[in-house]
Amino acid sequence: MDQPVTHKPVTWDTSKMDVKRVVDVIRVSPEDNPSRTPVEKAPDPELGHEVIPAARYYSTEFMKLEWERVWSKVWLLGGRADDIPGPGDYICTEIGKESVLIVRQHDGSLRCFPNVCLHRGNRLRPEGIGNAQAFRCMYHHWTYGLDGKIERLPDRCTFPQGGPPGMTLPSLPVAEWNSFVWFSLNPEVEPFDDYIAPLKEHLEPYRPERMAWKRDVTVEWDCNWKASVDAFNETYHVQGIHPQLLWYLDDVNVQIDCYERHNRYLIPFAAISPRVAMPSTIPPAIDEIMRHAGMDPAEYEGRVSDIRRDVQLFKRANGKAQGKDYSALNDDQLTDDYHYMIFPNVALNVHADDIMLFRQRPHASDPNKMLYDVWVFELVPEGEPWPERAKHRRFKHGDRSIGQVLDQDAYNLPTVQAGMQSESFPGLWIGEQELRIRHFHKVLDDYIYGPGQKQAGDL
Amino acid sequence: MDLGLQGKKAIVVGGARGIGYAVAEILAREGADTAISARGEDSVKDAVAALSRYGTKVVGKPVNVKRADEYKAWFEWAIEALEGVDVLVPLSSAGGGMGSEKYWHNAFETDVMGPVRAIEAVIPAMAAQKRGSIVLVATTSALEAMGGPQAYNAMKASLITYGKQLALAHGKDGIRVNVVSPGPIEFEGGNWDMIKGTMEKFYQSQLRQQPMGRLGKPEEVARAIVFLASEAASWCSGSHLVVDGAFTNRTHF
Repeated sequence: MDQPVTHKPVTWDTSKMDVKRVVDVIRVSPEDNPSRTPVEKAPDPELGHEVIPAARYYSTEFMKLEWERVWSKVWLLGGRADDIPGPGDYICTEIGKESVLIVRQHDGSLRCFPNVCLHRGNRLRPEGIGNAQAFRCMYHHWTYGLDGKIERLPDRCTFPQGGPPGMTLPSLPVAEWNSFVWFSLNPEVEPFDDYIAPLKEHLEPYRPERMAWKRDVTVEWDCNWKASVDAFNETYHVQGIHPQLLWYLDDVNVQIDCYERHNRYLIPFAAISPRVAMPSTIPPAIDEIMRHAGMDPAEYEGRVSDIRRDVQLFKRANGKAQGKDYSALNDDQLTDDYHYMIFPNVALNVHADDIMLFRQRPHASDPNKMLYDVWVFELVPEGEPWPERAKHRRFKHGDRSIGQVLDQDAYNLPTVQAGMQSESFPGLWIGEQELRIRHFHKVLDDYIYGPGQKQAGDL
Repeated sequence: MDLGLQGKKAIVVGGARGIGYAVAEILAREGADTAISARGEDSVKDAVAALSRYGTKVVGKPVNVKRADEYKAWFEWAIEALEGVDVLVPLSSAGGGMGSEKYWHNAFETDVMGPVRAIEAVIPAMAAQKRGSIVLVATTSALEAMGGPQAYNAMKASLITYGKQLALAHGKDGIRVNVVSPGPIEFEGGNWDMIKGTMEKFYQSQLRQQPMGRLGKPEEVARAIVFLASEAASWCSGSHLVVDGAFTNRTHF
């Protein structure tokens, strides 16, 4: 009889790593998972062990290929739907050299247009959110309706050739899903549902529409956008740059799942890393997790190693009374970090009570720079007032703190970007814990060169 | 110098890790039969296995010192297993914490009543044999500011007072009682190990305050504790020994 195919959640031998303990993490089994979010370990793709060429991080040619074959072809995250609830509400967001307007229509639907006046090319709006009855260009007052049609063209009689084709801004594909809005620069893009698959069932149970803006920050980082994607696609760096997190999460027992173009990993939180000795007192960050759940750490009689499970049980028992409906989530989701990467540039840490999302955008012209957006949303308990939206802030790499952990993440990136340009560095030497990095670059290769068409010597 | 611990019977409450384990280890190495307790079954088992290599009798069983009856029964078991008791080092502690009244109850139950109940459990046997030595473990946090106003510091301070009074009361029974106050001690799995990883700046600020530029090690405190517990310290009773590498600023007149 055939043995059933089973997938161990963790594929490497944790006992042989640089650890002090071997930990058997309690996990929700696929059979007992009440959530639509699957917990099955996806079979690992065979991606080989080749070096990932460093030049793709600084080459302007490769940057051009990325623009032609990725940024201008795929679905991209535009913003939050709750920023544009009413007619005329819009999000103006930029990607590379392009800028788009995502506009709520009178019938509640969304439309997306390039943010450029058809007359002399002026941007119609600066980046940000707002409301407009119509989009009037600040230069010669050409005016566009919410549907993109030109409503007013001053002195039209002086344009013997007539107005631009159709008297309208071109329409771009737009989609609204799970409280976020998405757009594409590619009129021929596949349906959004096909593109996002299989993540709808993964992420919908979190019901992010119940979460409100908590932080909205953009930082101009001095590195290629992919260096940032890579930075959040592996947990191997925790022991290197986040020593404090070793008393907060288990960076060793991490389940990695690669799908067609997206991927994820599942990190136990409220846990002690096997890399450090088990403490007998509750670490400060786990103390915070307990308090946030409504527990009093001083009352806790269990062992530190039991806290993760006990927080899950406590939230399951008390969530409803706190106005927090966790019924669509499994127990692991009540503590752990389900960390998704939506190709090409969205990393999101989804938790039962919050989402921390990073949108990683290329610079318009310099492969050595990028825009790093941090979006944090927090669950608003039922019956509590919706908080005021966090104000958008923007600054340069290192100018201001974005929190201890993210500062630590940001710290090495400029020197990574510099070091990668050394002639002595052929490329990234990637290990098993970094499988998502390899998967991301494989998906990128398939877009750039065609599926499986990358040749030896290609960047 | 002979510590005179050969063949003695010693009980260490909280002897599976840190200072307690180091105390148990020196006691076993010096030839004392030793009983240890801790909260967790696994940690007791591991510690007993490791301590057994010195060839003396080593026994251990988990116990929660906050459960008075269970704790009393544990002492009956330990004294029976060792066939007597000459040395007691009760090290149980709930650790620090601020912001909840519950921390006071925890510290009272574990840091104060843990030793108090242990002493009550061994005094009859020690008094009957007219021989015994008890070492309480307080902290330099009882002497100087550390970590903000909290139950841990205040409750530990009460042991210094109680230890002196016990020494006065039980001298006639041949029982010596002393107190050791360690400064910050670092060991794997201990608080300062975690603080080093989670609050590096605070840790570094502590190092700068240390005249010898480092924190103490469990065995450096344990040696002082075992000395006071031993026959070699036969004229030490009612004393309070600060073992902190000169960390505290006050002069101990």
